[in-house]
Amino acid sequence: MTETNAEKKSAKRSCLSYEKRKSLYGYGFLGLWMIGTLIFFLIPLIKSLIWSFCEVTIDTGSASLEWVGLKNFDYALNTDPNYTEYLCDMLFETLWKTPLVVIFSLFIAAILNQKFKGRTLARAIFFLPVIIATGPVYAIINGDMGSTGNTGAAQFSTMFSTDMVGELLQFLGIYGLSNMETMISTIADNVFGIVWASGIQILLFLAALQNIPPSAKEAAQIEGATAWEYFWKIIFPNVSPFILANLIFTVIDSFTSPANTVMKRILALRDDWQFGVISSMAWIYFGIILASIGIITFIANKFIYYEVD
Amino acid sequence: MTDTTDAVAKSDKEVGSGMTKKEAKRIRTEGMSREEKAYIRRKALMETAWHFFRFVILFGLGFVIIYPLLYMISCAFRERSDMTDPTVMWIPRHFTLEIIKETLDAMDFWNTLKNTLILNVGCAFAQVLSCAVTGYGFARFRFKGKNLMFIIVIMMILVPPQVISLPLYTQFRHFGIGDFSVNLLDNMLAMYLPAMTGNGIRAGLMILIFRQFFKGLPKELEDAAYIDGCGPFRTFIQVMIPNAAPAFLTVFLFSVVWYWNDYYVSASFFNNTRTIALMLQNLDTELKRRLFNSATVEISAREQIVWKEAGCLLSIMPILLLYICLQKYFTEGIERSGLVG
Repeated sequence: MTETNAEKKSAKRSCLSYEKRKSLYGYGFLGLWMIGTLIFFLIPLIKSLIWSFCEVTIDTGSASLEWVGLKNFDYALNTDPNYTEYLCDMLFETLWKTPLVVIFSLFIAAILNQKFKGRTLARAIFFLPVIIATGPVYAIINGDMGSTGNTGAAQFSTMFSTDMVGELLQFLGIYGLSNMETMISTIADNVFGIVWASGIQILLFLAALQNIPPSAKEAAQIEGATAWEYFWKIIFPNVSPFILANLIFTVIDSFTSPANTVMKRILALRDDWQFGVISSMAWIYFGIILASIGIITFIANKFIYYEVD
Repeated sequence: MTDTTDAVAKSDKEVGSGMTKKEAKRIRTEGMSREEKAYIRRKALMETAWHFFRFVILFGLGFVIIYPLLYMISCAFRERSDMTDPTVMWIPRHFTLEIIKETLDAMDFWNTLKNTLILNVGCAFAQVLSCAVTGYGFARFRFKGKNLMFIIVIMMILVPPQVISLPLYTQFRHFGIGDFSVNLLDNMLAMYLPAMTGNGIRAGLMILIFRQFFKGLPKELEDAAYIDGCGPFRTFIQVMIPNAAPAFLTVFLFSVVWYWNDYYVSASFFNNTRTIALMLQNLDTELKRRLFNSATVEISAREQIVWKEAGCLLSIMPILLLYICLQKYFTEGIERSGLVG
């Protein structure tokens, strides 16, 4: 009796130790990253949070801090001439651009998922922005030549902002829809920006679409589903988790791009060594990002269908 | 005689047992009612319309993407006087290689390229490896605090690099513990250390991709290796990495691209090191210094575009070549790359 008990115990112990050993290996795999994260991510993050409440003066030795409470935040929101203005512009742009980018990339991904001649070429072209859009090249071709100290490059942007849609509507004899027309033409004017901002989103949607089992499509065809029904009943539920992922990715992408105006304002202040103010600005900004992602997740979660494993 | 048979073969392709296409169709549609025929006709029409529509959409939007590249090529090989010539739109009147040569010179291209390869591409390599190891740890092992650490990974994706770049700057200025500290600014280590520990540019996203991918691989692979007496680290190197080749390719391409295009991080930590992205950013001042250093030379903004486009062309060329080589894996093999959860 006691013997079997002991046996059981030892068996249990060895089992435990195996588990423990495995978990130790887990730490082994993550060790390097944990050290790096502590030094290069967590400490700077906490530091910048503290700085945002302090008056920071940089000496030759180290930064000396003086607690000033919410003064920096107050300065950023109420005194700084550009910050709030840039922030509002940025938010507004993200607000209307994000849904457009996501819808557009879903549409393109659905097309690129079909079989046709030259599909590989088409895919290669539509993924090109992934390669170029994060760099200074994009800033230049986007007509944003201000970053290189040049203002006379209006031609780049005007090339894409001809009022094609407006002319088309007039040609068709539709007048008076001025509101609608301006809305459409804003979108048309920004086709360039939208196409160039949706490389990775297309990639993600395409991966999701490829994951839809062919049997689902067959079943839908046999049941006589129209393309419309097929989209809403088969494609949409399958890609819905990716819609959320893409919404979040688009928001982050637009917020963290070094080309956006808020970031430029922050960088400009950095040259004046106003570290406290910058930190508080960056944190207000980050707070807004977190809040908007929270709202998106909350709304989107109601429409998302997760396959139960 | 031969003529007529040729003509027949041309007009109606033969199907099956000596029937022409037309005959086959007639036999097929014989038993159908009128509605069925109409339905089939409508469907065929819809399909053609859709194909046409699809072509227009893809062509139009593809053009929006290709357009700047074409413009770049067109501009880079023309003389600057062509910019103000209203008759020149796409094809330059005065074809020249001078502009490319001058831009190569102004960007100090070959040295810059070497720098970029050592710094950015090296970091990209290091980061892929460290992120793969971390992702594997997240995917396959259970340990205390894993959820918390995963939340940190998500945080890494969400926090803009601008939030932490300032404290990082001071940290690199005096890098070390206590009294012992070194200045890592302008040192390659300022970029290599975060990359090697999986904290470089967009590292969170890469860890996430690797985690998803390794989770998708069958567990039996490792179990077999464990039973044969292979330790976890050896298993990872000898069994998992070869199986993860497509994921590595995709992530590697991403990583190289992000490091190549980065100018924010390198501009924050380097004053003297020159990478291609930084050089392109500063091309304007550099050009003024090198080419038009006499103040008397007036070159209009419009004419300067020639050099700028040449610079763009030069700086994306290496990465474009890499993309063209890898695009087969990239465009056809996404489903294997682990982007799918």
